[in-house]
Formats: sequence, structure tokens, C-alpha cells
Amino acid sequence: MIITPIDSTAPPEPTPTPTRTPTPPASSASVRRSRLGRTLEPFGFIAPTALLMLVLMIVPIVLVIGYSFTDNVILNKNPEFVGIENFVTVLTDGVFATAIGNTLVFTVVSVIAHLLIGLAFAMLLNSPLVSNASRAVFRVIYILPWLFTAAVIAVLWRMLLSPNGVVNYLLSSDLEWLSSPALALGAVTFINIWAGYPFFMVSLLAGLQGIPADLYEAATVDGANGVQRFFNVTLPQLRPIIISMTLLDLIWTSQQFALIWLTTGGGPINVTEMLSTFTYKLAFSRYEFALASTSAVLILLFSMVLAFFYVRHQRARD
Amino acid sequence: MTTTIMRRRRMTLKIAVLAGLFAGAAFAGLPVLWMLSSSFKSNTEIFEYPPRLVTESFSFDAYVTILTDPEKVRFFVNSYVVSLSVTALTLLVAILAAYAFSRFEFRGKRPLNMIIVSVQAVPPITLLIPYFGLIVTLGMYNTYPGLIFTYMVFTLPYAIIMMTGYFNTLPRELDEAVRVDGAGSMTALWRILVPISVPGIVSVGVYTFMIAWNEYLFALTLTKTQDMRTVPIGIQLLMGQHSYEWNEMMAMSILGSIPVLVLFLFFQRYFIAGLTSGSVKS
Amino acid sequence: MSKEAHGRRRTLRVLGASAAAVALFATAGCSASSDSGSGDGGDVTLEFAQWWEPELPDGAFRELMDEFEAENPGIKVELLSGPYASTKEQLFAGAAAGTMSDVVGLDGAWVSDFANQGAIADLTALMAESDYDDSELASQIQVDGATYMIPVVNFVYPMFTNDDLLAQAGVAAPPADRSEFAAAANAVAGLGDNTSGWILPLSLEAPNGIQNDVMSWVWATGGSMLDGGQPDVTNDEVTSAVEYIKGLWDEGAIAPGAFTMKEQDKVEEFTNGRVGMMIDSLAHINLIRETNPDLKFSISALPAEDGFDGERGIPYASWGIGVAESSEHPAEAWKLVDFLMSEETNAKLSSIANAFPGNTESVPDFVAEDELFATAFEIYQNGYPANEFTGLPVAEQLMRLFDEQFQVLLDGGQSVDEMLQKTQEAWLAEF
Repeated sequence: MIITPIDSTAPPEPTPTPTRTPTPPASSASVRRSRLGRTLEPFGFIAPTALLMLVLMIVPIVLVIGYSFTDNVILNKNPEFVGIENFVTVLTDGVFATAIGNTLVFTVVSVIAHLLIGLAFAMLLNSPLVSNASRAVFRVIYILPWLFTAAVIAVLWRMLLSPNGVVNYLLSSDLEWLSSPALALGAVTFINIWAGYPFFMVSLLAGLQGIPADLYEAATVDGANGVQRFFNVTLPQLRPIIISMTLLDLIWTSQQFALIWLTTGGGPINVTEMLSTFTYKLAFSRYEFALASTSAVLILLFSMVLAFFYVRHQRARD
Repeated sequence: MTTTIMRRRRMTLKIAVLAGLFAGAAFAGLPVLWMLSSSFKSNTEIFEYPPRLVTESFSFDAYVTILTDPEKVRFFVNSYVVSLSVTALTLLVAILAAYAFSRFEFRGKRPLNMIIVSVQAVPPITLLIPYFGLIVTLGMYNTYPGLIFTYMVFTLPYAIIMMTGYFNTLPRELDEAVRVDGAGSMTALWRILVPISVPGIVSVGVYTFMIAWNEYLFALTLTKTQDMRTVPIGIQLLMGQHSYEWNEMMAMSILGSIPVLVLFLFFQRYFIAGLTSGSVKS
Repeated sequence: MSKEAHGRRRTLRVLGASAAAVALFATAGCSASSDSGSGDGGDVTLEFAQWWEPELPDGAFRELMDEFEAENPGIKVELLSGPYASTKEQLFAGAAAGTMSDVVGLDGAWVSDFANQGAIADLTALMAESDYDDSELASQIQVDGATYMIPVVNFVYPMFTNDDLLAQAGVAAPPADRSEFAAAANAVAGLGDNTSGWILPLSLEAPNGIQNDVMSWVWATGGSMLDGGQPDVTNDEVTSAVEYIKGLWDEGAIAPGAFTMKEQDKVEEFTNGRVGMMIDSLAHINLIRETNPDLKFSISALPAEDGFDGERGIPYASWGIGVAESSEHPAEAWKLVDFLMSEETNAKLSSIANAFPGNTESVPDFVAEDELFATAFEIYQNGYPANEFTGLPVAEQLMRLFDEQFQVLLDGGQSVDEMLQKTQEAWLAEF
């Protein structure tokens, strides 16, 4: 038996064509009706989502895009159109470049670690070598970081990492984890890794359950060892989930705000300045809502690139 | 002879797995253990050095203070109402949309997909002001629907993307077979795909619940009276201008984490049993 | 291709139509949006958004409001309380959407911004309308000559000293000038065992350490960071204060973790007896006593430059009050402000908040009852309240800009002159 790669286990739906219409052609009218039904059907499924997103997401986003072309909104009763001036201001701001660099490091490291830790924990929890009872206990422990609101995670880690905190006590060190320019970005990234891996773990755990057992049996019959089974069965089977989650996590992590703001405030100096803290300060520290909107639009554009690759990947599988 | 080697190798592997599990548990659990221990301490002891896990003034006072304050209990009720509604509605709406994305080709599919993916990247903080104006004009300021619809906007993209992913892993033949038998798409979806995808749905549901349960910024902005506030705001209210109520904050966080934990415990059998392995054959 | 283009155009048309429908719905909703001001039976309900209620003993602030309602039949007060850290954003969003509460709690650092936004009302005009005599008000915060905020109660920031630590380090009395302070700080830091001489919170999230813990050194010596309302941070007084703090830093007298430390952390470290001295709000006296009853500490004026004998500026923070421009009941709103500023109420509020009254005639209970507060009141009366950030535009951003450059300086990345020059330029750009 051949191990089926994911592309054939999830064959795409070809565009419905008359020849593929399941109902036999009784009369031309009914064919037309059913064909019409088949074309309209997906729109019915999409409608609630589309309506909600249009009213509550697209409208505010369009407003924000509008703001980005004016001199200043909110503060200014009659904002004036200034073209791309705001974009020039933001893009030539040195801090913006720093923020992009930090956001990239923070995001890429976090996402990779989330994926590796999440996958490792999911595999451990799925291991047949451990009894069901102890697996249940570990499963609960492993999702703990997931259960807390960002403000609490920030407060907790500030306590743990403070110069007189538990971490320094356990390591018998006296490092300023969050306050020294050399360590702060690493420390913040670590906190984010801690807080975020359960998302991958739980989704991958669910994904692992979906892998047909006979694929493993077949691989074993073919003489594959554990490592080979992992790379030839597990990973390919999890691929769609991993790709979706990586994309989501990239987007979410890149806009992580509360955790950074409440632990370091973007400091010391600006070593943990991210796009999100940069944008926040524009809006609520300098009251430059137009510039903040511009920054938001730029972030939206970056993520459009990500989204584009994601959608293209989806299409490539079709 | 070979069986001894096999057994020994199995033993080694088991020890390695257990060691990994314990290391992971320390990484995940120790900070939370510290949080739990802090919730039983007095505010001074939380900052003493050298730190201790259990102190002489161990007490449940912080928990009693929270649970006997009707205002704080109301925060929990609000959080339940909002989070449960968000989870139910998100799952319903997302399953429909994901089905369309996974099983149909239609005009505008790609742009729609792209919009759904990329809108999540707009920093919520910049949306705050226009969004707030919108909710006020829609008459949903300081109401449950205001919060519920808001959170759905944030949870739907995730739920749709993940559900599409899960549906994509299921072989097309399953629902095609039902449809050939003359049943409609709805039957194929709810009778075949949804039951098989329960683990995926549960994990999406738990995550949705958690996002709604822990959201702070919009919960604060879109409500104004104390009887509409949710748990994260209650926690933040303990962080004052000049000082924090550390132990109550930790106690409230622990209490706040219990619902998600219970939800997870309740549904975790879906993560264990290989529900799909029997039915999916290639 | 043409078919696809056609489809795209149709999608656009559908989108346009939906957007129009949304807009229509929005306008309809706008006119129908509920009016929070008018209650039933002709009563007026005032919304009062503030962060004070959660900071005060349970129910204490509500009691004051009940008194107000009893004195003013027909006016009800609804208290809307939020966490301090998010109050500013909430007020801002409320102002932008036209749903700002009638009466709002304000911080001096926000006044200018809200006034410029047109969100808060000109109180000078309201006072004139109700023939209010403002001679009892300790201070009024003005923007362009009109009052926008009245400080209800003031929290002064004296120096707290840990008596035991100072004694152990051989320091007999709280330091009175900068040399004594540096000597004391170094002596305490020399004790080892995790102790530090002084604690300096410089978090960029809440950069008010610049106001309370850095600029206070300038004001204590009668100095100023402004010149004719414009930034002047390169002057001798600011330079000498910054050089002085840099000196303390280099000598290792300052507690570790300063770059991300917040006011709350500062207090916890002091309460746990790990720092010899801090500059802090009087509001904390009771908190410190409650959490660590064994800690012996005293309060004294912030040290000035050696040999200085002029009047000392004492940093302070206020709970200020303002009225929303959009309020439909400005007269009733003013009555509430009037009530809070009245001699009796103001004294009560000061007592429960451990703050100094905004009404010059009010005497809070604790001054007579408590030795430490009596000392503090003496310090307060011997000097003058100083907080040059109050009423400045983007005051918080100014602190943050200063803070960023200051951190670079402490980290060894630039000289004092460079730091102040850069700060001066950054500040000028904001004015």
C-alpha cells in the first residue's frame, strides 16, 4: 500500500460542471435550477460571515484607510486631505524601521518556537508509551499558559523576572531580564513563546487524532522507523493545519501589544519597540491618529503579502 | 534475545518520553504554580526575597473577597454569557463558511479568503476609535450583542481558517458519497463532515471561548457600567493608579482560568480517542 | 476575461450597495441613539467617569455621591469607574464618539490634549454662569487662559526614608541636600544583601517617573524645565540634576531594573525594606503601613542642591475634574464639581484618599491625627506645589521622549549634554 500524500486525501472540488452534476438530467429546466442552486449555495454559506465582517470590520478599516490620507483626525474637526504625506513621515521615521526589525525578530522566533514546542508537546501527549491517566494530567498542565489574559501574563512575568524575583533566585543570578537592553527583546520573546505555544499544541493534538492509523501501519509494513514515520506520515498529514496556524500566528504575534506594552513599554530605550507599540504611541501618546492610521495601513499591507501567499498556497493545492 | 533488546529500547524510549513530559510540565506549570501560591499570600510576602512558595500567612482571603463581592461575581456572569454566545455563534457561522471554502469553487473565493486573512492584521488599537463610533451609532454600546458581535469579528477569521483546514484534511469522497445518494449539501455537512471534525471543532471552540473570555481592550471600551464589565476588566481594576492588589489579582486570574480549564477537561476526550481514524480510509 | 471583469464589477456594486445600507443604518441609529442624560420623571442623571472609586475604600465615594443627591433633588449621579491605566484612552474614544460622560476625572497631563480636542468644557465660563467664587480653589489648570480642570485633591511626593536601613548604614538623619543624599544612598547600597540606596522607576509604559522622580530634583531646587512656556531642558538646573542622577547610577546606588520599573514596583521594593530612599506619593503611607507594619520610615522634603535655602517646589499629582463639552447638563455637572470642591466634602474626600485638599479652607482629619501626615502637611505648606508637566500639550509623550534619551544616557550611549540637546529638540518638535 502506498502512503497517500495529503494532496490526494483532500482532493479539491473542481468547478462544478454540468457533467459532474450528481442529479441526472431529468429536464433542462431542472438542470438549470439545480446548477443555479449549486452556484448560489456557497454564497448562502458565506453570507453570515460576509455581512458581519463587512459591517463590523471592513467599515472601520475603510475609515482608518481614509484617516491615513488626512492631516489629523479626531483632534481636528475638519481634517484636510494630504495625500501620501503621512506615509512618507512614517516610512522615514527611524523608529519605524527599528520597530519593523524588532517585530520581525520577535515574530519569527516566537512562531518557530511555538510550532516546535507545540509539535513536540503534542507528540509527547500522543505517545502510546504513557498511560492515559498521566497523559490527561500532563495535557491539563500543558495548556495552563493559555488560560490567562495578557495583562496577567505580563504582571506574572514581571514578578518572576524582576531583579529580586524567582527566576534570579533559582538561577542564583542577578540579571535585569526585562530592563537590560541586551536581554529585554529575548525575555519578551520568551514570555510570548510561553504564552502562545498551547495554541499550536491543541490544534496539532486534534490534527494528530485525524491521521488514519492504517497510514502508520502501512509505513511500518514498508519498514519505516519512528523518525521516518514522523517525516513521511505525520508531518505531511499535519501540513494543512501547520500552514494555517503558522499564518495565523505570524499575523497575531506581529500585532502582539498588551504583553509588550505591559512588560517593557517598548523599552529599555527602544529595544522592544514593535509596530504595535509604535502605533499605539502615535495614537494615544502623541494623538496623531492620522499617523497611527498610516502605520496601521502599512501593517495591513504587509499582512496582505502574507495573506496573498497563503491564498496562493491554497490555490496551488487545488 | 531480540525481545530483550526491544524491551530495553522501549524502556529507554519511555524514560525519554517521561523526561520530556516532566520538563515540559515544569516549563508550562511553574509560572502558574507561582501565581497560585501568590494568591494565598499577603501582598508583602509576594515580593519578599528569598521567595517562598508557601508562607505563614497562607489564606484564602483573596478568594473570599472576590467571591463575596456581588460586583465581581457579576463580572464572571457577564464573561460567561458573552463567551458562550460568542463560541456558539462563531462555530455555527464558521462551519458554514469553512464548508463553502473547502468544498466549493465560487466567484470571489480568493479575494474573500484574502480579506478574511488579512483584516486580522490591523492593530485593534487603531480600530478602537472608529469602531467605538460605529458601535455607538448602531445602538450596541454597553450591551451584550455589542460585545458578542465584536468578538465574533475577531474569532471568525481564525475559526474559518482552522475549520477550512480540518475539512480539507477529510477526503472528498465522504460527502460526495452522500450527495450521490441524493442528499443535499447541508446533510453532507452536518451528518458527515461535522461529526468527523469534532476534535477540530472542539479545539476551535475552546480557543474561541478563550479569546472572548480574556479580551480586555474592547470589553472596556464598549461597556461603561459596572454591571456590563467582564473578568479581565475586573482584574485590571485591581491594578490601581498607585498600587496593585497583587493577591486578589492573582486569585481572580486563577478563578478566571477555571472555566476554560473545565471546558477543556470536559472536551478533552475528543483529543484522545482517534475518532476519525476508523472512518477515514483512503 | 471580460466575464471575470464583469463579475468583479458586480461584486463591487454589491459591496457599494451594502456599504450604503450600512451608512443609512448608521445615520438612522445615530438619531435614535439613547440619551443617557435624561432619566425618568424629569430627573437628570449625570454620568461621572473616573478611576477614583476603585482606589478608595469600598462604597466611600458612593456615599459622597449619595450626599450630593440628597442635597440636590432631581439630580442622580451614575459612577462609571475604570482602571486608571486605560482611563485616558477611554475618555478619548468617548470624546471622539460624542459619548463622553458629563463629569470626568482628569490627570493634569491630559488636560491640554482634551481641551485641544474640544472634549472638555471651559470651566471659567461655567463658573461665571453660576456666579462661583473661585477664591477657595487651591489651583486651576488653564489652557490658553481658560480653566479646564480643577484639582480636587493633590498627592504630594515627598522623600520616604527607611529608618532602619539608614541607621544600619550609619546615617543618622534623612539627608537634606544632594551630597548627603548621595552619601546615604551609597552607604545603604554598600550594605549588600540586595539593598539599594535609591529607587528610580523609568518604565516607558508609564513614564511618570520622569515627572515624579527625575524632574522633582529640579523643582526642589527652585529650578524649571521651561522658559516662557517653551522647553528649556538644557539649562543649568536640569543639567545639574541629570548629572547628579547619572552619578548615582554610575556609583551603583540605584536599584536594578529601573528601565522597566513602574511606580507600583517602586513601592513594593520600599515596603519590603530593600531600598533606603524613594520619592513617592503620600497616598502610599497607609498602604505601606498595612502591608508591612514592621517597617519604620519617615518623610522629609526632597533634598535640594547643597546650600540652597530658597522655597522648594514639591512635585504633586492630582485627581482633577472636568466637564464634558458635549454634556447636555453643564449646569448640573457644575453643581457636582462645586459640591466636590466645597470645604466640607473636599476635606472628607481628602481624608479618605490620603491626599491634600484642592480647597484651601479644607483641613483633612489625618493632619491632626497622624504625625507623618502632619510632617508632610508642613513640608507642603513650606514649599510650593510644582509640576510643570500639568497642562502641557502631549505631556505624557514629553516624559516618554525625555525617558528614552535618559535611558540611553544611563546605559552609557551618550553624554549628558547630548542627551539634553536631543530631548530639547524632540520637545520643541511637539510644542
